[in-house]
Amino acid sequence: MHIPDGYLGPATCGVLYAVMLPIWAFASKIVKKTLRSRQVPMLAIAAAFSFVIMMFNVPIPGGTTGHAVGAVLAAILLGPWAACIAVTVALVVQALLFGDGGITAIGANCFNMAFVEVFVGYYIYKIISGHSSVISARRVIAAGIAGYVAINIAAFSAAVLFGIQPLLHRAASGESLYCPYGLNVAIPAMLGEHMLIFGWVEAIVTAMVIKYLQKQDPNILETAEEVIE
Amino acid sequence: MKKNNFIERSISGAVSFLKESIFADEYASKNGFLQSLDPRIKTLTFLMFIMAILFTKSIAILLCLYAACLVLALFSKINIGFFLKRTWIFIPLFSLFIAIPALFSIFTPGQTILTINIIGAKLIITRQGLSSASLFVTRVVTSVSFAVLLNVTTRHFELLRVLRIFKVPQIFVMTLGMCYRYIYLFLEIVENTYLAIKSRVGSRLHYKKGQEIVAWNISSLWQRSYYLNEAVYNAMLSRGYSGEPVLLNDFKIKSKDWAWLFSITLFFVIIILGGKII
Repeated sequence: MHIPDGYLGPATCGVLYAVMLPIWAFASKIVKKTLRSRQVPMLAIAAAFSFVIMMFNVPIPGGTTGHAVGAVLAAILLGPWAACIAVTVALVVQALLFGDGGITAIGANCFNMAFVEVFVGYYIYKIISGHSSVISARRVIAAGIAGYVAINIAAFSAAVLFGIQPLLHRAASGESLYCPYGLNVAIPAMLGEHMLIFGWVEAIVTAMVIKYLQKQDPNILETAEEVIE
Repeated sequence: MKKNNFIERSISGAVSFLKESIFADEYASKNGFLQSLDPRIKTLTFLMFIMAILFTKSIAILLCLYAACLVLALFSKINIGFFLKRTWIFIPLFSLFIAIPALFSIFTPGQTILTINIIGAKLIITRQGLSSASLFVTRVVTSVSFAVLLNVTTRHFELLRVLRIFKVPQIFVMTLGMCYRYIYLFLEIVENTYLAIKSRVGSRLHYKKGQEIVAWNISSLWQRSYYLNEAVYNAMLSRGYSGEPVLLNDFKIKSKDWAWLFSITLFFVIIILGGKII
């Protein structure tokens, strides 16, 4: 899902930076207002947590492993605006310091993972869980469904960005200048792997973490609910 | 029961991450050309390089930029073997792999340059396909190389502080700096936890049990993080934190930095204007 430099043309990168700027500005304004001063380090700790979640190898059938993004989990634990900042910070650290995800594609990666995935996941979780208690099984199911759907919508968004490159940037002689595959290839390729593998990894991780927290420390989930509201 | 190596992979992932950071810091403290530049000027000029790579439509310019990147790495006393390994694995190799189908007429129709017969099936490589695939891979590897060169020749803390020149709000810069420190702490916790699990259960584990272990690890990490917040806030207060972050500014720009900035800006303008003409 981390789009590297060179896959997207300048117009797409520029537009997505422009789209993300007001979202980041609004997110920092909301978070500054809602976060108590005691919780200032929480943002940094949550960003590091988002970064480390992406490094966990989750075993899947067949002896291989996959990675989760953890954006929906961050949204459930922190609220969507704080999660947007935390995932953004994690993505910036990955791109700037570890070359994972492009510098010119930070806007696009943040749009997919820190905005689309976070907000879609959070609202699906909220709708399904309704007013149920923080320790109810309904919340575990809601977290799993939210994780699965949100990562697939984020993957679809990334696929559309890949797929429009040949339409936007093509030399006069017919060659593609950036990602060479159109929507007819990019969408099935991205959605196929996410619907079959990564979506399930995200769903299992999100649901099981909520289940464990319900069992071990429901106080954390209750406080998260209060802070978000 | 299936042999599952996710514990091993997670441990080696954490260890290689920590090793890579140590290597990066080692190179950043060498007495090379890029290390001697002001981090702000260096970051600005590297962004110009990356933008030039993004904008150019010519594979010749991309190859020249890639060669320039390797020369800069040499002048900065970076081991070329390490640099090539670090830059080619994983993104450019993956890009090379996904660019292969684009060579063929099924994905990129155009002028035929080679026809291959495989068990009766005719595969046609087109000029447009070859050109698209090579442009794509060269652009990716050149961008990745510049990004890696910037982060191995600059101390990570300096690189994060540099964001201030792009008017990034201080809350973001402070969060980035603190986040960077916590990543190491968390990775150490994860590594130690997995080592403890490995020493107790070995490597043979059903994948469902493995998923439970990962979920338990993530939730336990969140619990620790959550309670760490209070201790960190108290530590911040005891060091004089009053609600607004204050960041040190000890960067100094020398005449060499201005000369470097001027030449790269000129080069960038030529590439951008030239791109419209070529």
